[in-house]
Amino acid sequence: MDPVHNFEDVMDAIQRAKAGATDFRTNFFPTQPKLESWVARRELWGIVRDGASFFFRKDRDFWHFYFCVGNLPVLQKEVALLSEMKYQRVVVDLIGSESANGEMDAALQSAGLRPYARLQRMSRAAWHEQSNVAPADFEIVHANKVDAPTILKLIECHFDRFSQQLPTLCDLESAAQKDQILSAKLGDKIGAVLFFETQGLASTIRFWLVDNNFRVRRLGSALMLAYFATHNQVRRFTLWVNCNNENAIQKYRHYGYASDGLVDQVLVSSMIST
Amino acid sequence: MNSVIDILKEIRPEFDFASSRDFLADGLLDSFDIVTLVAKLDRNYGISIHGTDIIPENFQTVPAIQTLLRKNGVKV
Repeated sequence: MDPVHNFEDVMDAIQRAKAGATDFRTNFFPTQPKLESWVARRELWGIVRDGASFFFRKDRDFWHFYFCVGNLPVLQKEVALLSEMKYQRVVVDLIGSESANGEMDAALQSAGLRPYARLQRMSRAAWHEQSNVAPADFEIVHANKVDAPTILKLIECHFDRFSQQLPTLCDLESAAQKDQILSAKLGDKIGAVLFFETQGLASTIRFWLVDNNFRVRRLGSALMLAYFATHNQVRRFTLWVNCNNENAIQKYRHYGYASDGLVDQVLVSSMIST
Repeated sequence: MNSVIDILKEIRPEFDFASSRDFLADGLLDSFDIVTLVAKLDRNYGISIHGTDIIPENFQTVPAIQTLLRKNGVKV
């Protein structure tokens, strides 16, 4: 693997895979700012093969794997040859409709990867109802940059690092500075968090959690309603949730979210137990 | 053959693309939508959009997408 030094290197590598492709396939959908931040933080590495370009992104103690290939047989053959798949913890996300993912899923499993988790995207249209008030003693406020380490610990305790794209401390500090984290606070204690990303008319919930010590106080509900109340201009709300997390899915349905057909099939290398 | 607006409406029927000056900044399209859009444009117009052209500037407006199509030999 070689480190990726700039955005143009990535585009060139993608084009090499796309040139002469008979059935181009990829799981690589970064926005330019995200890609540039990975490059700046030296998290992105690449491998170019005949008809294929692969990228590995360092995340905690494992790698996210992205591919751009000219066709499915190349995907299966070249992935099976990557030593990283045998000796490293590697996670692959296949994002798309069930039907679009099926053949890539089969090719990657033939190359030695195993299913780990399945997430679904849920969406809802604009929200026009009124907010309720925060529970007594708690205040609903935007988190500050100094809250980021505490919030990171909460997220790491409540969510799975391999399948749920956990943020870095830097991501959380940046989000706090942009008022993208709502928190329910009791003094200096954080009882619940809702981390979102809003771009124009669309907003995505990244993480919504209530600390185990502060359950049954309706903090989660208060945060969700505060989130909607402060996003009157948004036309489309989205989020990703583990398909096995029926409790969370029921809660999101309560707030009007419904599955929109996009799924994230998460596969892992043999170094990660399933 | 579908128009660019028709294709955009297929991907995100809930949005009014005609009233937006920047589909990405306005949140009408995200990175997943762009990949879907590229696949639909490739199929609809029988082209293969260059990987180096899959950048935000080429998908901000209908005229920007049409310029990209013209670059790929499509008469729009």
